[in-house]
Amino acid sequence: MDNQVINVPGAETLARPQSRKNFLKSLAVAGAGATAAAAIIPSKANAQYAGAAADLEIANFALTLEYLESEFYAQGLQAGILSSNSLPIVEATLDHENQHVEALIGLITEAGGTPVAKPEFMFGDALTSESAFLNTSATLEITGVGAYLGAAPMISGPAVLAAAGSIVGVEGEHVVAINSLLGVVPPANMAFPEALSQDVVLEAIAPFLGGAMPETGGPSDPGTARAL
Amino acid sequence: MSEVESRIGSVTFDRDVSRRNFLKTAAWAGAALSAAGIGGFGVAVRKAHAVHEGYAAAGPVAIVQLAYQLELLEGTFYAEGVNTGLFNDYAVTQLAAIRDHEMAHADALAGILGELGAAVPATPNFTFPEGTFGDAVTFLGIAATLEPVGIGAYQGAAPALIGSEYLSPALSIHNAECMHWNAIKILQGVVPPNNVAFEEALPLEEVQAAAAPFGLG
Repeated sequence: MDNQVINVPGAETLARPQSRKNFLKSLAVAGAGATAAAAIIPSKANAQYAGAAADLEIANFALTLEYLESEFYAQGLQAGILSSNSLPIVEATLDHENQHVEALIGLITEAGGTPVAKPEFMFGDALTSESAFLNTSATLEITGVGAYLGAAPMISGPAVLAAAGSIVGVEGEHVVAINSLLGVVPPANMAFPEALSQDVVLEAIAPFLGGAMPETGGPSDPGTARAL
Repeated sequence: MSEVESRIGSVTFDRDVSRRNFLKTAAWAGAALSAAGIGGFGVAVRKAHAVHEGYAAAGPVAIVQLAYQLELLEGTFYAEGVNTGLFNDYAVTQLAAIRDHEMAHADALAGILGELGAAVPATPNFTFPEGTFGDAVTFLGIAATLEPVGIGAYQGAAPALIGSEYLSPALSIHNAECMHWNAIKILQGVVPPNNVAFEEALPLEEVQAAAAPFGLG
């Protein structure tokens, strides 16, 4: 068996797509440029309101992605296109996405923010066959992984990062489970799953939003955002 | 279970032996898991909140050194597993990919230690429970024990890396470990293999306790 050749990226490469500026480019928030300093753990003084407001926007963006996935799996199950191999995996995935939605709503609410409303999604041809559905699922899942990985370095609240870490790993599991249904061998085939910039994420999900930009939500008054 | 066996491959089961080994492994794995605090998978996200404190106290060098050794442990484990002849082509392809990923993680972490001006630890003399490489079910049972420890370690450490350039590599590697765990569950025939809604973070001392029986730390 040939060994896979893996290029080992340095820390710098892995962090590349995630400048705070790029990620928040379309989510203008006054004072969002404030970041936790180089300290490994930000002191209480560093956990600024601006950081908390930015965390809320990231959490709301994640909520939109989870809504998208949840709706996609719910409609896929209703479409009656799935084989008995796919059903248990898709049912579990739907359940997970729903739990992620609830967890994010709880987190956002607790932080004094307003959870975004569930957008209208359109899936078109993705629901016409099992193969189309699974291929779209594979795209959504790896995009979800990349979105969380891309956003993580901009998160300043430990609770928000802990939630993101807990959720993104599950999205990674979904990637592999869906790969297995698609007959990808081996299904776990990435040594370093990639972070994606928000632009790339938006481009990937745009077809399901009819070209609309997702709402960013956030607190009605940035001063009310609480650091978590 | 026919699918399980076809996924695993060339195992001829002596039912009694493999069952005995499995139970022994399960007991051993259960002890490690309970030492690690894994068990109730109805995990609330919130539970992860304060898990990072031990990692914060240990500091980035100690975190990366531990992660490096965990990756070597996993890489060694899978390298030996691939060479046992217990697995069919499908399983070997997956296990070899995981082995390569773990070794690539170790390389990346060694590079980070270099950037930090810190020593790359010597490779420990790893020890594996008796029978680890004796049959596919036992091997996969151990794999399914090890992966959540790695997952829990990176996830637990992540909030302690806020503001650090090492957060990104840690989370990327964390994700690869979650993918591995799913792949192992597929080989075990777990249906559905994606059977947790939230990954669980582990405190540093529980990772150390779970890794200790393998000769680490």
